[in-house]
Amino acid sequence: MRVVAMIMAGGEGTRLSVLSEKRAKPSVPFAGKYRIIDFTLSNCVNSNIFDVAVLTQYRPHSLNDHIGIGKPWDLDRNRGGVRLLQPYQGRNDQSWYSGTADAILQNINYIREQRADLVLILSGDHIYKMDYRELIATHLAKNADLTVAVMHVSLEETDRFGIMTVNDDDQVVEFTEKPKARDKGTLASMGIYVFDAKRLVERLRETSSQYPNLDFGKHVIPTMIANDNVYAHPFSGYWVDVGTVQSYWETSMELLDPACTLDLFDAEWRIHTRSEERPPAKFGPQSKVEGSMICNGCVVRGTVEHSVLSPGVYVSPGAVVRDSIVMTDTWIGPGAVLDRVIVDKDVVIGANVQLGVGTENVPNRLQPDKLTTGISIVGKGAHIPAGISIGRNVVIASDCDEDQFNGDVASGESI
Amino acid sequence: MRVLALIMAGGASPSLSALTAGRAAAATPFAGKYRIIDFTLSNCVNSGIYDVGVLSQHQPRSLHEHIGVGKPWDLDRLQGGVRVLHPFPTPDGGGWQRGTADAIRYHLDVIEERPVDYVMVLAGDHVYKMDYRPLLDLHMQRGADITLAVHSVPPHEAYRYGMVSVDGEGRVTKFEEKPRRTSSALASMGVYAFRKDYLVDLLYRDQAVDFGSEMLPRIVNEANVCAYTFNGYWADVGTVQAYYEANIALLAETPALDLYDPEWVVRTRSFERPAAQLGAAARIERSLLCDGCRVDGHVSGSVIGTGVVVGAGAIIRDSVIMPDSVIEPGVVLDNCVVDKQVVIGRDCRIGEGSIGTPNAAQPQLLNTGLSVIGKAARISAGHTIGRNVVVTARTFVDQDLASGETF
Repeated sequence: MRVVAMIMAGGEGTRLSVLSEKRAKPSVPFAGKYRIIDFTLSNCVNSNIFDVAVLTQYRPHSLNDHIGIGKPWDLDRNRGGVRLLQPYQGRNDQSWYSGTADAILQNINYIREQRADLVLILSGDHIYKMDYRELIATHLAKNADLTVAVMHVSLEETDRFGIMTVNDDDQVVEFTEKPKARDKGTLASMGIYVFDAKRLVERLRETSSQYPNLDFGKHVIPTMIANDNVYAHPFSGYWVDVGTVQSYWETSMELLDPACTLDLFDAEWRIHTRSEERPPAKFGPQSKVEGSMICNGCVVRGTVEHSVLSPGVYVSPGAVVRDSIVMTDTWIGPGAVLDRVIVDKDVVIGANVQLGVGTENVPNRLQPDKLTTGISIVGKGAHIPAGISIGRNVVIASDCDEDQFNGDVASGESI
Repeated sequence: MRVLALIMAGGASPSLSALTAGRAAAATPFAGKYRIIDFTLSNCVNSGIYDVGVLSQHQPRSLHEHIGVGKPWDLDRLQGGVRVLHPFPTPDGGGWQRGTADAIRYHLDVIEERPVDYVMVLAGDHVYKMDYRPLLDLHMQRGADITLAVHSVPPHEAYRYGMVSVDGEGRVTKFEEKPRRTSSALASMGVYAFRKDYLVDLLYRDQAVDFGSEMLPRIVNEANVCAYTFNGYWADVGTVQAYYEANIALLAETPALDLYDPEWVVRTRSFERPAAQLGAAARIERSLLCDGCRVDGHVSGSVIGTGVVVGAGAIIRDSVIMPDSVIEPGVVLDNCVVDKQVVIGRDCRIGEGSIGTPNAAQPQLLNTGLSVIGKAARISAGHTIGRNVVVTARTFVDQDLASGETF
């Protein structure tokens, strides 16, 4: 039984604002030292799946860099291993991936070359730990053509998910994308599918002639429910799609709660990542740290409360970081105060900067639908001049220089 | 310039007490996430030397596992790379190595077949960051047979080192191994550069077993031996006290050994662990903390290794704790070196009482109040352990231990 995993990692993730401006969403840092895709990649190798393709499209550099030849996941193999599949030009056509299923369709050769019996389609932007062997066991036991991992959601939330309606045998009888009505059941598709390889190829070919932007949820799955054996595999563990700034922030903060069910310390299910070699985190005599996650290479001489610090973050004396997420190699100047901010990598925050002050009630003017809860975001490589104060729901663009600031920044503004 | 580096990592270092009962000194954890040999290995690759042999003998398993195929140092190479050179029995039943020169003589065939011009012999149990290239440049310029790296040491420490006297041109005129009294203040660092053909010839011709104690004192008169003075941080952490002090020195605001220098990264085999997690009641100051730690207690003035758990209400002061040890809630730990995978039960008090009682078995070694807990030892809840105590590896302590005891 040969299983190949194909991880969809091409999405732009526009709702993550500047965090995914320069990188694909799966490559957004998470929990200090990880990238979001590490969870899916680690699930693969921990489930003994060593044939993994990563399909990229939007801003792939950071992701390519991160995955490299797959060493951290032991995917640098002679046989199998990790393969990055990017859109390519052919003699008769050249096309970007226009949908999830279209991306797979364009890489059908990979499935064929690997002589796969089963194809596992995964999303690169979910946070969860899952043993895919159980899903595959269900698939085989039911003699299914397609098995979809599902989880129970509350009835009020069903309009945010693709809902699978099943019969007593867990066979899927109907699939409704974001149903308004509450009568479709509460089993939400997790975007994790295992297909019989032959049937997948067959169905992709058939449906592609009808739909140009071939998508699993919209086209392939409904067709297969009508014609093939499609089953649901219920999953009950921790699973989050960190699709928005708010959910990204909440999920990160949740990790600081001792009751969080996502156990990163589980020695039986390690999350692997590409770690740079960094010395231990250092705490100075003035440091005060509580309820936080701190990575190697950090130097903390100030106060850190309820925050996540990636490797190499420097917190100067007198600085306060509260309810915030600070990514790799950011420098926080003396006396700076950060409250409810997400700071990307390589940012310099000048001395005595007040970041995240004032009222939460002014949504971001340019992205009023995304930033309304008081979280401010600083893009990668921005330099914030000393002494200014910056409000809430503010977005500072990547690589912003000090001279682009004109004094204080009010809540809801963007630079 | 083609250079082979040979790292001497076979030593037993009995002065490291329980820390080297089950491992070579070079494999002793240091600064939370490193092994001592990482400094020498990183020096090699940071100096552009990618052809490295590691000579092992005493308790090599931990060392071999750490080095593996040399991935962390980019020494997993087709040309050169790292290879572990371990003794093997000779037909007459011998084969154990009796000294540094003996060890290298033993692997002379490996050296002869390497396409190199120079051979560096390095100690695997020293902590320092050194670019070997200036030393090699000097060695070549002077056309020396041997060039020794030297470092100044205070006179009262001279008895621990090979002491070197140098003339106005930087030529070594005298080499005294561990002298009681000497006029020299320059200690040999155990870092030697040889012309390869000179080394091969020397080892065939001279049957002495050790460079420092036998060969060098003799040959400084006949060969062209030069000294290269190294002024950076260098510590021979060959005793428990020196080991402890070198760790604690890292907590200074600007320590002499800068681990945060991106131009000279010290590399190690890191295990994949999540970020350190500090609970709401945690307090930490003047300390190093590695990935994978979970701290709910109070840590000050300490070096905490990867994956250490510090329970609620526990207090750790001025201690070195190696990876994956568990300090249960309510423990008070003062002035200790705790090896890996140790479990200290609830409400134990370790390092309590008077400093004035040296360790009965090793009074020379343990007399400053430092207690040592060996690897994977377990101390059951509620016990009090004094100062200058040694708990040997893999023991189960179910009693109080007074100061100076060895269990």
